[in-house]
Amino acid sequence: MIRIGSLSYRYRPNAPLALDGISLNIARGAVHGLLGPNGAGKTTLISLLAGLLPHPAGQISIVGEPLDAWRATHPRAIALVPQDYAFYPMLTVAENLAFFSGVQGIPRPQRTRLCDEALAFARLEAVAKQRAEELSGGLRRRLNLAIGLVGAPEILLLDEPTVGVDPASRQFLLEAVRRFAANGRTVVYSSHYMEEVDAVCQEVSILDSGKVLRAGPTGEVKQGRTLEQVFMEITGHSLRE
Amino acid sequence: MLIPLAALWKKECLALVRDWHALAALFAMPAVFILVMSLALADSLSGQREASLAYAVLDIDATPISRALDAQMGDTEALRKTPSPSGEAEIRRQVRDREIAFAVIIPQGFAQQVGANQTPEIRILSDPAVPAAMRGGFRQIVETAVIRTWLAHVLERLGQSMMLPQLRHATERVGPPSIIAETVGRDGNGSAPLPSSVQQNVPAWLIFSMFFVVIPISAVFIGERQRGTLQRLRAQRVSFGLMLAGKFAPYLFINQMQAVLMVAVGRWLVPLCGGEAFALPATTQGIAALLLMSLAVSIAATAWALLIASLARSSEQATILGGIGNILMGAIGGIMVPRFIMPGAMQQWTRLSPMDWALEGFHQAMLRQGGVADILPSFFALSCFGLAALAAAVFLNCRARPT
Repeated sequence: MIRIGSLSYRYRPNAPLALDGISLNIARGAVHGLLGPNGAGKTTLISLLAGLLPHPAGQISIVGEPLDAWRATHPRAIALVPQDYAFYPMLTVAENLAFFSGVQGIPRPQRTRLCDEALAFARLEAVAKQRAEELSGGLRRRLNLAIGLVGAPEILLLDEPTVGVDPASRQFLLEAVRRFAANGRTVVYSSHYMEEVDAVCQEVSILDSGKVLRAGPTGEVKQGRTLEQVFMEITGHSLRE
Repeated sequence: MLIPLAALWKKECLALVRDWHALAALFAMPAVFILVMSLALADSLSGQREASLAYAVLDIDATPISRALDAQMGDTEALRKTPSPSGEAEIRRQVRDREIAFAVIIPQGFAQQVGANQTPEIRILSDPAVPAAMRGGFRQIVETAVIRTWLAHVLERLGQSMMLPQLRHATERVGPPSIIAETVGRDGNGSAPLPSSVQQNVPAWLIFSMFFVVIPISAVFIGERQRGTLQRLRAQRVSFGLMLAGKFAPYLFINQMQAVLMVAVGRWLVPLCGGEAFALPATTQGIAALLLMSLAVSIAATAWALLIASLARSSEQATILGGIGNILMGAIGGIMVPRFIMPGAMQQWTRLSPMDWALEGFHQAMLRQGGVADILPSFFALSCFGLAALAAAVFLNCRARPT
C-alpha cells in the first residue's frame, strides 16, 4: 500500500537530518506502528505522509503512484489525527464533524451520513450537541479521532493518539483503531508507548535519530521478547530516556 | 469550492457568535461610544450650545462710563451673566469655587483713563479648567465692549464740542455688525449643513470598531495554529488561500452589520436620548460613496487583523498588539480628538493613520456632500493598505512553515 524509499528530510538547509534515508513498506489493511523516543522522526514521517512538508529527498508512493499524484486523484484518502486536540472548542461535537467534512467538499447528504457514522464509531452520539470545550480528555481524544474519520479515508495517520487519556479511554481508542483497520484500511500509528504498539500493530518500525533500526511484522521484530527489550538491545538505551 | 467556503464561513460566524467579548468589542463598545460622545460633544460641535458657563462683572470704579461698560456685556451664546458680587474677595471665591468661569474687574480710575485717552485697564479672572479657546473668546468679548464704550465716549465728546448732538449714542444706534456665516460644500456654494456631533461621531467610532475585528480573527486564527487545526486542514488539502477567503468574507459581512447598527444608533437611539439624529447623504452618489468607504475600511481592517494574527504568538499578544495598534491609529487618526483641534504639526501626523484616510472619506460623503469620485483617494489608500497587510500576512504564514 505505502512504499517509502530512501526518504531523507531536514527542516532547514544546515539542520541535522530529521529522517535519514529510511525505507519502509506498509501493507494494505495493516496497523503499522512507528515506535521511537521523542525526536526519532515519527512526527516528521507522519507529516510527510500527510503532505504537510514539501520536497523530501527520496520517494513515497501509494499503490505504486507517487504520493502527490495519488493524493490529487484521492483527495480525501489520507487523514491525519494530530497529537493536539485539533478542533474548535467553541463548536459542538456535531458542528466540528460537519465543519471538517464540509471543508473537504463532501456534499450534504453524504456529509450527514459520514458524520453520523463517525459519531457512532467514536461513540459520541450522547455528546453530539455539547461544545467540545466541555468534554473530558478521553472524549476529546475520541472527537479528535472521529474528525479524522469523517472523510472515510483509506489511510489514517495517528500521531500519539492516546497522550493524556485515562486507561479506559485508551482501551477504547485502541479498539477503535482495530475496528477501523478490520475494514481493509491502513493505519500508521505513531507512539512511544510500547505496550500500545504491541497491542494494536501487526507491523512495527523502530526509529531512532531519524533512522529505521528495525522493521517488520511485530512478532518477527520481537522474536519472543518485549519491544522494550528489543529497543534496548538495538539502541543501547531505554525508550523512556 | 463553495461547500468548503460555506463550511469555513459558518465556522467563523459560530465562533464569533459564541465569543461575548468579541461581540461586545464589535457592537456594544462603539454603540455606547457613539451615544455618549454624541451627547457629550453636542454643544461643542453644533454651535447651538446652551449658556452653561457664567461670568460676573465687579465694577469698582462705579462711574457712568464703567456702568456703560458693564451694560455692554450681556448674555452670549455660551455665557450667562450673573449678578455682581459684593467685592473682589467674593468674586475671586466664586471663580475658585467654579460658581462662575470668568470675572471681569473694572478697577478704580477706569473712567478717568478713558477720559484722558489712556489705555484703560481691565482685569479678567478665569477658572484654569476653562479651555484656552474659550478664554480667548471671552477676552475678545471684553475687548469689544471696552472699545465700544471708549468709542461712545469719544463720539459723545466730539458731538458736544462740534455741536452735533446726533453723535451722542451713535454706537448704540448702529449696534453690533451683522455677520453671515456659511459652510462651503463640495459645489462651492454655501449649502453644506453644519456637522453635528452625531455626524462626526458615527463614522469615527464605526471606523474604530471595524478595526476591532482583530480580536475575534486573531483569537480563532491563533487557536487554529496552536491546536494544530491549521495543520489538519492543510492535511485535508485546504489551501491557505481558501482559509483566508473563509475568514475575509464573514468579517466583511460583520463589518457591514456594524455599519448598519451604528447608523441605526445615530439615527434613532441618539435622538431618543436628547441628541440630534444622524443624517445619511441625500443623493444616490453619496450613499454609494458611503458603501464604498465601508467596504474599503472593512478590507483594511480584516487584512490588518490577519497580519496581527500572523505576527502574534498568542491570543493575549494579539489582543495587546491589535488593541494598542488600534488605539494609536485612532488617536493619531482623529477618531478620539478631531483633526481640526490638533496643532498644525500634529495634523500632518494624522495622514499616517489608515483611520484618518477612512474618516476623510466618510467626511467627504457625509459632510461635504461628495460622491464616489470624491472618496476614491481614501478608497484606494485603504485598499492598498489592506493588500499590503494581507501580503505580509501570507508571507509570514508561508515562512512559518518548515521547509
